[in-house]
Order: sequence, then structure tokens, then C-alpha cells
Amino acid sequence: MKVKSINLERVEGTARLELVWKDGFIEDARVSFPYTRGIERVLKDRPYMDALVITPRVCGICGHAHLIACVRALEKAMGIEPTLKASLVRNITQSFEILQNHIKWFYLFILPEFLQDSNGLRKLYEPFKGRRWFLAIRQAAQAVKAIALFSGQWPHSSYAVPGGITSNPKPSDLAQLEAITHQIRDFFLKQVVGLEEEELRRFLEGGSLSLLKGDLGLFLEFAHKEGLFRAGRAYNRLLSGGELYNPSGFYCKKTYHGRIKPSALQELTPPSYSTVSPLRYRSFPYETGPLSRQLLSGNRFIKNLHREYGDSFMVRVVARVLEIWHILSRIEEGTKRLYECLHEPSTSLKKPPHVKRAYGYAFVEAARGTLMHEVEIEEGLIKRYRIITPSQWNLGPRCERFLGVAERAIVGLESERQAMLVLRSFDLCSVCTTR
Amino acid sequence: MKALWLQRLTCCGNTHSFLNYEGLEYLFSRFEYFYHPSLSLESEEEVVERFLKEDFDLLLVEGAVRRDDVVLKELSKRARFVVAVGSCAVYGNIPALSDPEVCGLNYRFKERDGLLEDPEVINLPGCPAHPYWIAHTIFLLMQGKKPELDQLGRPKDFYSSLTHWGCTRNEYFEWKVDAEELGSERGCLFYHFGCRGPLSYSSCNRILWNGVSSKTRAGTPCFGCTEYDFPRRGLWETRQYAGIPAELPIGVSKRGYIMLSGIAKMFAPERLKNEG
Ligand code: SF4
Repeated sequence: MKVKSINLERVEGTARLELVWKDGFIEDARVSFPYTRGIERVLKDRPYMDALVITPRVCGICGHAHLIACVRALEKAMGIEPTLKASLVRNITQSFEILQNHIKWFYLFILPEFLQDSNGLRKLYEPFKGRRWFLAIRQAAQAVKAIALFSGQWPHSSYAVPGGITSNPKPSDLAQLEAITHQIRDFFLKQVVGLEEEELRRFLEGGSLSLLKGDLGLFLEFAHKEGLFRAGRAYNRLLSGGELYNPSGFYCKKTYHGRIKPSALQELTPPSYSTVSPLRYRSFPYETGPLSRQLLSGNRFIKNLHREYGDSFMVRVVARVLEIWHILSRIEEGTKRLYECLHEPSTSLKKPPHVKRAYGYAFVEAARGTLMHEVEIEEGLIKRYRIITPSQWNLGPRCERFLGVAERAIVGLESERQAMLVLRSFDLCSVCTTR
Repeated sequence: MKALWLQRLTCCGNTHSFLNYEGLEYLFSRFEYFYHPSLSLESEEEVVERFLKEDFDLLLVEGAVRRDDVVLKELSKRARFVVAVGSCAVYGNIPALSDPEVCGLNYRFKERDGLLEDPEVINLPGCPAHPYWIAHTIFLLMQGKKPELDQLGRPKDFYSSLTHWGCTRNEYFEWKVDAEELGSERGCLFYHFGCRGPLSYSSCNRILWNGVSSKTRAGTPCFGCTEYDFPRRGLWETRQYAGIPAELPIGVSKRGYIMLSGIAKMFAPERLKNEG
């Protein structure tokens, strides 16, 4: 038996992976995160509106999702709804944050890992040098520019407030939005999947994986070579809180179940190697993220792929990359509807009201999966604030009965490289996991 | 130029802000070597070990630090310039609020009581720092020039004017037409919504964010994230005594404020007062 501890590179923040080897196989894996920043503690006893400024600072790459989760939790606590205009704008900005995250994850974290040994290709994706590395970063920067049109800036905006948004978009903002959407769409078709729009549509109706070209095609070639089409499976239990484009629900033992209930969420005591609490739903570990979302929203292509290969490394990655396309279509629909209601007020509330006593929670979809915020207010101040992040589902540690989801997916693999890749397929975000 | 970017207690927001810089390709082409823990392929441990033994040009730190961080102390002696990127590395910011052992590089909030007594760090506060502040400081350092700094170690180029400069609501501020509710492009956010624009130094409204906007342009008050007291309690409120803001724009006297706002209100043009 051999034990190896690895500090992980190219993650958001700091993370560690410990592998226990036996007879050429990984027998056990522990994922851990050394730091915490105490964000929930900082919120206590502050005016509730402060949470809109502080919670986005949990994470530099998905801070916008935290903002939306925060504002939704506050709205539920107050029993109010945003105007239609505001909720359409919020969906659009939230969607673009997911897009930039998917693009960065695939090009900065997945591809370079794969291509380290392939000389010619490595050059294209090499950090700070590769042409495609820069191309991807430029697309991500465009996506967040689309957010800033409404939110003032990205990262770390606080433009969503109870009842709506602080900005008042004009038709010219929507024109710029359309131009950016089109540019990213073009990038996706030409560079990511290498298909014409018609070809992609036909492919999604039930084409074979081998039709994919572009960088996703390249990825599949390498994933196949590394034996990762079927490897990297976790519990095949998948969950999403819904609230963006898919319904809330979970999948286990080949059946779908409706609506997640927060009362069935359990945060257990962390094992000795971790500062993070294991998270269970009805006592079981669940994976969250694009794969869960695509299955729950009935995406036929992903359903077929999942039926054939399970919740494997390859399926996880393909589900996430193809989600870019689905989200782009939703953004286009949302933009059309938004043109129709630009005259509406930006908020349904004139001013943040005094709140005597209230409780609210919200599920929101971030790039990596379901995020939950929960708030208790007393005399206008935050009495308790709780955040559950997607990474806590996916990368959280073991409990007495089950390994963490990522840990489970790594056990049984044959190389350190495979282990790293599988871990990356969950997208390591230590800053969210530890807050 | 050889540079090392390291992260400590951080949300990685400065990294993602930096990646929005439109001249990124050109900037990186000018580095002889650049390391970033979440972007480079090498392992941080190996790189740090190497740099502990050789002099290099630039150490960039993102995130608040713990007082016992020996590695950063040693590395800062090897680097020709040390830059704190973002308010966490500058003042300690949110991570320092709940832990007395956490601080910034030179500072802990407003006290010069951070991890490093020297060298004098180039401070780029902001939560996050704007990509221009980071990239343009690097360009200057590449020429071997240290930017001119204010008393808090911030380059004057970016931090000598108020966030208020260039805000599209300036005319409303001038005539004291205050926003009574959120969600409009009209009205100034200073009086009712705690805007720190006239009390914070940054170039947000001059150079804009993501090339298109800023908080106050999007109707969100400035929260003063480039200053040591960010995040204050009551971020969306203007504390007032007898109807006068407890903190007035930098350099403005109470008497001046009362007199001017009285006159401004009286003569404010109708086109500003009518909503819509
Ligand atoms: S909103 Fe803030 S920055 Fe803009 S004019 Fe008013 S005080 Fe100045």
C-alpha cells in the first residue's frame, strides 16, 4: 500500500488530494481543502441588504449566482416577487456567468491537462501562450461584458435587489447583448463543436459522438485513449434544485423524483481530514451540475449518452460543454421577451423595507450545480445565514456510510493522471467549498 | 520579466477580473516567465522552491494572508517589486474581519500592521481590482519604473480621483436631486442609498468596468471597496444626523454642504426632477 498526497494546481483556491494505492489501483481517495474564510460569520448581525454585497464575494467565478441566490432568499423571506423584466434580466446575467465558467473550465482546466504530452496541440492550448487559450479567454470576457451591461461590472456586482434590479436597461443594451450572444454562438459552433448549426441540430437529435469535431471532438479522442469513456463514475445519483431552466428533482436507481425539499438536506460532521461538512440528501450522496440539469430537463441526447455510459467522466464533460448551446438558446428567447417588457419598472419595491422577522431560502443554478442560500432575519438584521454550494455536494468528504461523490468517482482508477482528470470533471472550486 | 502570482485567502475574483483585460495576449508576450497557480501547468510547490533561491522581478499576491506566512515573507525579499492585488491582499478585507491572525501585506485595515514591514508594497485595492490597474501597473514595472504612490501605497494614476468622477449621475448630485428609489438611471445615490463615490478613491467611472459600465451607472451605490473600511456595516444606507449625511464628500465642510445643497435644490432644473 502506498499513500500519496498531492497539492492540486489549476483550481479555484487551494485543494489537496490524497491517494491510497493497492495493486496498481486507487483504493481510497480523500479530497480536502485547507482554508476557510468565515463569510457566513461576517454576515451575522448586519442589515440584511449587506448580504447582497458580501455573499457574491464567496466566489470570484460564480459570485453572480451567489448574488441571485441571496436576493431570492431575501425575496422569499419578505414574500415578494421581482418584476417580469427584472427576472428576465437576472436569468440572462446568470446564464452568461455559467457560459464564461463552462468555457474557462473546458479550455483552461480540462484541455491543457489532457494535451500535456501532445506536442503540436499543447502549443495551441498552453497557458499564457496558446492561440486557443487566448481565444477562449476572450469569449469568456465577452460573456461577462454582457453581464456588466446590466449589472455594472463582473466580477462582484450587487445589482439584484429585493423586488428587482438596480439598472434600467435600454433597447441599445439589448442590441449589444444580441451581438455578444451571436459572437459566442459562433465560437461554439466553429471552435467548440466544429459543426454547422444544422449539423449540430441533427446531431442532438440522436447522432453518434464521432460526428463531433472541434475542440470537443479532440477531447473525445483523448478521453477515449485515456480509457475515460466509462471510468470516473460516482453513485449515479444526480440532483438539481431547479430555478433556472430545469425542474427541481433528483435521479436515482433509474427513476426521476420531483422537487427537492430543503428539510431532507443533511449536513453531517466532517471527518478528521476535512473542514467541510459532508452533504447528504435523504441520507445519500448526490452529484449536482450540468449533467443533473440536462437529465432533469429531459435532454434526449444526454439521456441516451448517460444510459449508455453512466455518470462517467466523459458524460460529465460532454453534458457540461453541450449545455453552452442550450443556454445560448435560452438567452436568445429571454432577450426576445425582454424587448417586450422594457417599459416595466425595474423593481416591484420602492425601497428595502424594514423586516421584523422572516425566514427564506432559495435554490439557484450556478455553473457547477445547485447552490442554496438560507437566511433568517430579525429586526432588520441577519440572525443566521447558511450557504450550501455545488462543490460541497460534489467535492465534499465522506460520512460514516458513503465516500464523497468525487472520492467515489476516483476509487478504482489506475493512474494519478486519471484521478486528476476525474477530479477536474467536477470542477474544483475550493473557494466555494470552504467559503 | 519574471513574475510569480500567488493566492492566499481569496475568492479568486482578481484573477477573473484580470482575465478580462483586452490586451492580455500582448501583456503575456512580454513576460519572460509568468506563474499563476490556477492557470499554469507547473506545481506551485516546485515553482516556489525555485524562486526562494533566485532573485526575480515581480511578486503579485491575491488574497488576505496569515501572519505566520514565512514563504511570502521570504519571497518578498527576493522580488524586485511586490504588488498586492485586490483589497484582501491590501487590507485583509472580509477574511480579516473574523480572524485577528489574518491581514494584508503591508496593512491590516488602516493600520500599517500587515505581514510585511518592508518592502513597501504597491497596493491595488478594489474588490476586485480593475484589470487596468493590474495590467497597467505591470507595464510600468516592466520598464523598471515604480508608480508614484499615495500614503496607502496606491498608484496615484488610479487612486487619486474619486469614484464619483465620471459618474453619469453627477448632474443629479450637483443639483441635489436624490434617487428616492432603486431601479432608475436618474437621481444620485449619495443621500439615500449610501453611495461612497464622493468618499472613495478609484477610477471606476473614468475607465469603466468590462468596457461598458460601473456600479453607479447600473444604479447600484458605490460601496467603497477600494478603501480600508470596506465592507462597512449598512452598505446601502446613508447615516444621517438631522438630515445631514454623517460623512460628507471628501474635503467638503458641513456648512458648505448645507448652503450649497439648499441653493442647488432651489434652482434645480425641472428636467432633472421629473422622473422618467
Ligand atoms: S451616485 Fe454616487 S458616484 Fe454617482 S454622482 Fe451620486 S454620489 Fe457621485
